[in-house]
Amino acid sequence: MLQHFLIMKKQFAPFIAALALLAACSPSGEETPVPNPTTGVFVLSEGQFGVGDGAVSVFDKATKSLTPDAFGSANGGAALGDVVQSMGVQSGRGYIVVNASNKIEVVSLPDFKTAGTISGLTQPRYFTSTSATRGYVTEWRGPYTGYLPGVLSILNLSTNTVTSRVPVGRNPEQLLALGGKIYVPNSLDNTVSVIDEGTGALASTITVADGPSSMVDDKDGNIWVLCTGFVSYIAVPPYVVQTSAGTLVRFNPGSPNTQLKLTFPATASPGKLRINPAKDQLYYSFRGAEYQVGVSATALPTTPFIRRSFSGFAIDPRDNTVFAGISPSYNSNGRFIRYQATGAAIDSFTVKIGPNGFIFY
Amino acid sequence: MRYYLSCCALLLCSLWGPAAVWAQQLPTPASPPDSVPISRRRHRLAEVQVRAVGPERFAVGSRRVELDSAVLAQYRGANLADVLQARTPLILKNYDPGQLATIALRGTSAQHTAVLWNGLNIMLPTLGQNDFALLPVGATTRVAVQPGPAAALYGSGAVGGAVLLNSDPDWRPGFRGSVQADAGSFGLAGGSVEARTATAVVAVRVAASYREAQNDYTYLLREARGPVRYTLQNAALRHQWSISPDVAWRVGPAGELTAAAWLTDVDREIQSGVNVVGSQARERDQSRRLVLGYRHVAARRQWAVRGAWFDDVLNYQDGGTPGTSRVRTTQAQAEHTAALGARGSLRLGAEAQHFAALVSGYGPEAVAENRAAAFALLRYDPRPALRLSANLRQAFLPAGPAPLTPTVGLEWDLVASAPDSLIRRATQALTAKASAARSYRAPTLNERYWVPGGNPALRPESGFGYEAGLRHRLAWSRSTTLETEVTAFRQDVDDWVQWLPSASTGIWTPQNLRQVRSQGVEASTALQLRRGRYAGGVQLAYHFTDTRKTQGSAADSDPVGVQLAYVPRHQASFSTDHHWRGWLLSGTFGFTGFRYINASGTDFLPATGLLGATLGRTVHGPAGTSLLVLVQASNLLNQAYYSYPGRPAPPRGFSTSLRLGWR
Repeated sequence: MLQHFLIMKKQFAPFIAALALLAACSPSGEETPVPNPTTGVFVLSEGQFGVGDGAVSVFDKATKSLTPDAFGSANGGAALGDVVQSMGVQSGRGYIVVNASNKIEVVSLPDFKTAGTISGLTQPRYFTSTSATRGYVTEWRGPYTGYLPGVLSILNLSTNTVTSRVPVGRNPEQLLALGGKIYVPNSLDNTVSVIDEGTGALASTITVADGPSSMVDDKDGNIWVLCTGFVSYIAVPPYVVQTSAGTLVRFNPGSPNTQLKLTFPATASPGKLRINPAKDQLYYSFRGAEYQVGVSATALPTTPFIRRSFSGFAIDPRDNTVFAGISPSYNSNGRFIRYQATGAAIDSFTVKIGPNGFIFY
Repeated sequence: MRYYLSCCALLLCSLWGPAAVWAQQLPTPASPPDSVPISRRRHRLAEVQVRAVGPERFAVGSRRVELDSAVLAQYRGANLADVLQARTPLILKNYDPGQLATIALRGTSAQHTAVLWNGLNIMLPTLGQNDFALLPVGATTRVAVQPGPAAALYGSGAVGGAVLLNSDPDWRPGFRGSVQADAGSFGLAGGSVEARTATAVVAVRVAASYREAQNDYTYLLREARGPVRYTLQNAALRHQWSISPDVAWRVGPAGELTAAAWLTDVDREIQSGVNVVGSQARERDQSRRLVLGYRHVAARRQWAVRGAWFDDVLNYQDGGTPGTSRVRTTQAQAEHTAALGARGSLRLGAEAQHFAALVSGYGPEAVAENRAAAFALLRYDPRPALRLSANLRQAFLPAGPAPLTPTVGLEWDLVASAPDSLIRRATQALTAKASAARSYRAPTLNERYWVPGGNPALRPESGFGYEAGLRHRLAWSRSTTLETEVTAFRQDVDDWVQWLPSASTGIWTPQNLRQVRSQGVEASTALQLRRGRYAGGVQLAYHFTDTRKTQGSAADSDPVGVQLAYVPRHQASFSTDHHWRGWLLSGTFGFTGFRYINASGTDFLPATGLLGATLGRTVHGPAGTSLLVLVQASNLLNQAYYSYPGRPAPPRGFSTSLRLGWR
């Protein structure tokens, strides 16, 4: 019997020693300091749905240093949440819209320490604000197989609560605050809802084209609305057909029914309308490339600005540097590429999964 | 990196160490006690009325792990994922108790493990994989895992390996049965029934089980304002039914007719991750499986035919229009096995499968697909101590023939000793084994027909794997044995399918994009003791799995050379069971090394070690009755951990079972 146990001991001792070693094999994290203001770029990464690994990375242009998860680093490792959709900045505070977690995380800037959470939201999408106390967020309603009309929630930024809700169209997207009005594009309809800031009520509804989703205002005081058009899905490549074409719509807020409409070829959906700091050049994505067009153009360009598909696109108002996000698979980390205003690439940096937006602070 | 290498090198040394020591004490060779060559087995066949040769006879040289029936009895109310996690170092990706649980044998994906029930592939044809949480342990009588490519034997999907579930007829005469009730932490309740009876010509077995669990345990979430304790929402197992009747009927001196059915019905809430607020997702999985078979076993030849009908329903709803799916599968198999001289046997066979799928994701029309395969399996033992097998399978898929998949295997008894001078009355046997195989995986119905994105032009994935190892057995009399096995493997998968979004349309579509290599070491050792009224054992197993993408197309941006997500490099399991008089005491410890959560190899879940224990007492009553009281504890160390990001695993939990048996 003793011999049995001696053999046993000989047999198991190396395993037990090995187990102890294994426990020590995990890699360790690292932290980088939060950069100084005025050279900071906040890079939003959606993360993988259900995993809860959405993040805001802070990039310092001066030192080219990167804090991969600024919120976690500043708040004891707390997770920001699931699907970081967008972010707005107002009076030294950041408002990070976390779509699947149904909340807005409020942080002080530039340190990203928590300053509260706005909860009680449903499918929040985009945020804007008009003062230190007044914010707005678009919210979707209904399940993905049958969306219902959404809402614009008016936020009290002093108390981080929802003050009131204004019914808008289906799937309200990237809203625009201009001249005492809030313009809300309803991306599953063909309308823009206009809410009066003073009364907090729906003032009017402008009909544009199918799928309005992003908006900018230009140097002439005009509003541009990018409408994606609608698609339906089929069983054979390219698997998607455009049932209505995308349209770039321009109107003046004073006469919203007088519109310039530039129609896209019905081969793909345009998206992500942006404008440069001088407010005279528009940018949008179409068919896997990024295009640029002047605000005085009467036709759409046929040659891309950058022949590449981006998951996020923005222009730094401080120096016109272009920031573009690359999300190859949503199963691996993304990157952002910096370009000169001419479209010539400068450099690129790895961030978390799914970079979809940039905030310059 | 260097740190890992040194970790691994140390481990390898420690694991190979004992084997090397034994290799130096080799006495004279002889036949091992536990491996019966086919030529000798034939005589056995004549003695027993009907005794078929299983496919594993042709899997010479590949590793096979069979779960002990006494162990299965302990986990009778649980599902296959629970028992594999507690008792083996196999990698399971598990989303929470009762939620989706998939296997990654030898680091391959969930679709690379074929699951066979009574010889028939039961992988869900739409997803090409099995949810191990849907397979109750008590439904079958035998559970075996054969890691390594075995496509020639088991067909599509047997790239990383195969899980073999069988319900063998029990010909012991008389009636025996048991009724069990279970209750446990977090709203666990369940029960099961098993009854068997046999006459000289008919054997019947019926097993049925029910289980539900609220899974309403609490977990701590670290938020910006500090740690907050929540109760898990929308994670209940509402019900899980399983019923599996089997009948075997002896027809004449050499024939056996079998019929087996397995019906399962699971209704569960789907946990979407604790950072996703307000999800109400539900899933209903129903499977109805029926197999009819006839086999004829004569002295020099045997043949068998089988027909099977499966009906698999998977309905998912999360507030929107439900996603529905129903697939009817019809399968037919025929095989003929003949002795080749005194030392060999040859099996020739063919099979065909027909799928009819009505899936909301494919559009309103039903989709039909046929697949067929032919195979030849050869076993040849030139000497009793040298066993060889060579197999070949050719499958025909809708898009054309799959790669031809040959398998070769070898087992060679290097040492088989009579009583030895070093250790009194000890015998030992050392067997070297090796095998190499090609394997394939047919594209799943989802990969071919999903709208949008389904890719009918997808090629089957092809695998090439080989393994080599040593098996050592040391026995002191019949009552004490020590068995040790070490296997090193390498597995390459080419044309690995990956879903990626199109740059221009954003539509996700599957493509043959990459090559993946998995290599590693599996080591296990088991000591069995029997002394008077005591019987016990200790099992220790360790797997080292290094799985990386080695090459990818330009469209496949995931980095090369990074350990794949959810494949821990290190897995280890320890279990010990002790039976004394009516008492049972078991302990398990499972270690899972850290694993990455995405392809980049930066974010990871930390290593976890889980301790479990079982205490049981059987009291025998009058007229062959017995009462078993079983208390089980899981996560005894109360570790707070995540089995998948956003899915907190349960804290320490207990369950009690009461089993009334009679014979």
